[in-house]
Amino acid sequence: MEIVRQIKYKPARVAGGYTDRLLKIDLGSREINVEKLAPDFKDKYTGGRGYALKAIWDGTTGKTRYDSPENILVMASGPLGNEPGFPGTGKFIVGTISPMTGTFIDSNVGGHFGPLLKLAGFDALAVTGISKEEVVILIDGDARTIAIAEAPRYDKETDDGALSFGDRLLKDINGGEYSDCLAAVSAGRGALHARYGLIHSLYYDIRRHRIRAKQAARGGTGTVMRAKGLKSIVVRSSLPKANGNNPFDKKGVRAAGRALKQVISKADPTQLHLSAWGTTILSEYMDKFHIFPVDNYQYGQSPDSAKLFAHVFLDNYFSHRIPDGCYYGCNLACAKGAENVELTRGPAAGRKVSIDGPEYETVGAVACMGIFDPQYVMEYNWYCDEYGIDVISTGVTIAFFMECFERGYLSVDDTGYELKFGSIAAADMCLHEIAGGRGFGKIAGQGVARGKTWVAKKYAARNKASQDEVMAELDKFGMEVKGLEFSMYITKESLAQQGGYGFSLKGPQHDEAWLIFIDQVYQELPTLEDKAEALKWFPLIRTWFNATGLCKLHWIDVRNPEAAATDEPSKNLPTLAHYVDYLNATTGSKKGLQDILDDSERLYILQKLINLRQGRGTRLHDQIPLRAMAPAFFNEYQSRAEYYDLWLGQNGGVRKLPASPKQRHKLLIERRKRDYQQLCDVVYEKKGFTPKGIPGREIVARFGLLDEKARRLLDEMGA
Amino acid sequence: MNENMILIIEFLGMQRTLAGADSIEMPVTARSRVDNVLEYVRNKYPQLKLDKDTALVVVNQQLASRDQVLKADDIISFLPFISGG
Repeated sequence: MEIVRQIKYKPARVAGGYTDRLLKIDLGSREINVEKLAPDFKDKYTGGRGYALKAIWDGTTGKTRYDSPENILVMASGPLGNEPGFPGTGKFIVGTISPMTGTFIDSNVGGHFGPLLKLAGFDALAVTGISKEEVVILIDGDARTIAIAEAPRYDKETDDGALSFGDRLLKDINGGEYSDCLAAVSAGRGALHARYGLIHSLYYDIRRHRIRAKQAARGGTGTVMRAKGLKSIVVRSSLPKANGNNPFDKKGVRAAGRALKQVISKADPTQLHLSAWGTTILSEYMDKFHIFPVDNYQYGQSPDSAKLFAHVFLDNYFSHRIPDGCYYGCNLACAKGAENVELTRGPAAGRKVSIDGPEYETVGAVACMGIFDPQYVMEYNWYCDEYGIDVISTGVTIAFFMECFERGYLSVDDTGYELKFGSIAAADMCLHEIAGGRGFGKIAGQGVARGKTWVAKKYAARNKASQDEVMAELDKFGMEVKGLEFSMYITKESLAQQGGYGFSLKGPQHDEAWLIFIDQVYQELPTLEDKAEALKWFPLIRTWFNATGLCKLHWIDVRNPEAAATDEPSKNLPTLAHYVDYLNATTGSKKGLQDILDDSERLYILQKLINLRQGRGTRLHDQIPLRAMAPAFFNEYQSRAEYYDLWLGQNGGVRKLPASPKQRHKLLIERRKRDYQQLCDVVYEKKGFTPKGIPGREIVARFGLLDEKARRLLDEMGA
Repeated sequence: MNENMILIIEFLGMQRTLAGADSIEMPVTARSRVDNVLEYVRNKYPQLKLDKDTALVVVNQQLASRDQVLKADDIISFLPFISGG
């Protein structure tokens, strides 16, 4: 491997969870700098997503696009990442300007990269510039070197594969042996062609004796990485992982970790049992409550859904009895995997592969295309990973075009084949075309938002129709907001989750707020005020997890039995108390839950400012497709007509139902649209925003964010 | 007891594996309540570990209170807490 630039450095020691060092690498100028962060930087921006937001706010402008040299690819753990004594501390954030949304995207991912980056001396890594040649970055905390090297060339199959290349590189760098002192991130050839390329977090699993992968999958982080000419980053540190954060109070850390692990061990086996099933267990529950996104979110259930329930994957694919945490110390261990799965389709047909997954989102994405074949789920999972493209955006985009085809907006002349729901052959063809930038895949690789424009132009020209009118129809079922595709939940019957997706700053990904069951099933949010409170509180606490290097599942997906006796069980406050203890024991702070929420609100407001600057921050950009709030077309209404008619009477305030079903469908749509606008009004007020969805100066100033740039921006917005 | 009055108890996810059945029928009276069903299942399938204080009971896809009176052909299921990843 040819080193093109290398520096020596002295790794900073981690103390209280921080190194106070930022590694800045410009791939254009080949400059490598270690920057010491001001002592109060961490107090204001916490870590993880906060550090990424601050870098993007300071280092980019409203004109910065995903492939601009000044765009920054930030990777950062957080003060609480890297502690095997506490479960779920392998997370880090990838933050950048997205090719999908044109604004800030953050995608959180597990594995060892974040912890090892910190042990190698860095709270965060910020990559700018564009390299003319394909390169890799090597951060070696043991050798005390940081290098930019030309990307090695192996063979075409390996070089193209996000998994294969990263796997080979990790082995090569370590004399042909895997080691858990090394971890990498990588992006594949799919990211060269699709806007929704992902970044893998690759780590050595000592139990499975192989490299495993988790993904920072949303919003095109891998596309940014490859646009920079960067194929992989490897980090090495042999420092001990136990007590790696050098916490202020080791006993306190151990006590908090022990307490949370006990809750998980006791409660998870009687609840979702993620440790056995992984997140595939969700498919059945989503189907049961009409939330499974069948046929591009038209129907929440299918008679075929049971073919994709968790037991199918457990019985036929998952390796049993292997604790599958993605970082040491995790006893929730939801990162399920399968070995020796023989591929039956595509260019690698006949090859036996290891597969990390599927997660619920992969299963949902396949159901979204109307496919209910578990073998195809496995193969779709592997190919998306090897190509390095997001399973969610890929599935939702193909499903959108399938619906366009079935509703007559597209024909074989446009796509090259019958792109219909349920067709594995068509979905598979489209997947490989997307990754290769070939045929119709060139269009599908752009995602739903750009796909709508392409279809509208084509259809309008062919039929001498108004492009605006065609676009209005496509807007009803093109499942994206702000340019990002929805994750795999139907929100028609949960007004709170409609907001959860609509207000989400990065676009409709559920990690900012997932309120469907709390709202739709448990009915804990009966009023608009209740929903608004949840739509403020949950995004803030979830932001905190993304800023500190922590996995949320231990808090949100395992209900502490003690929560039942609290006023708000859904907040799972007894478990959050362990997190607060862990924070204070690590960093030496004396914070309470409200302090944490305040820290998060600062980051939330900063992200909102970036959205405003990038032209994605107002009420207009929080609007959701009709299908996210109601049955968009009559066939959807008919599939649950009895339920919808009942809803109109009970919730829609309709005393006498119209005689015709079509009139009732129209009335339902009107009511749902009205409800969503009312929700916007109440939520904005709760968050201190104007009715246009713009934060008031007072709230921006309260969090110390009213700098000159923010002032000018708010002036321009008339706020 | 009206012998013709039965309701259906569905097992979901892990419960199906532990109970060894997709669903069972339970004979009930006109005065049977959710609590009676919970007790019945707890006794019949102790391996489900349904916590009498925290188990969420759903009747016909609607969350039900413990004292809700049941009617023939109601479909009952028990939910874990699901709060999204």
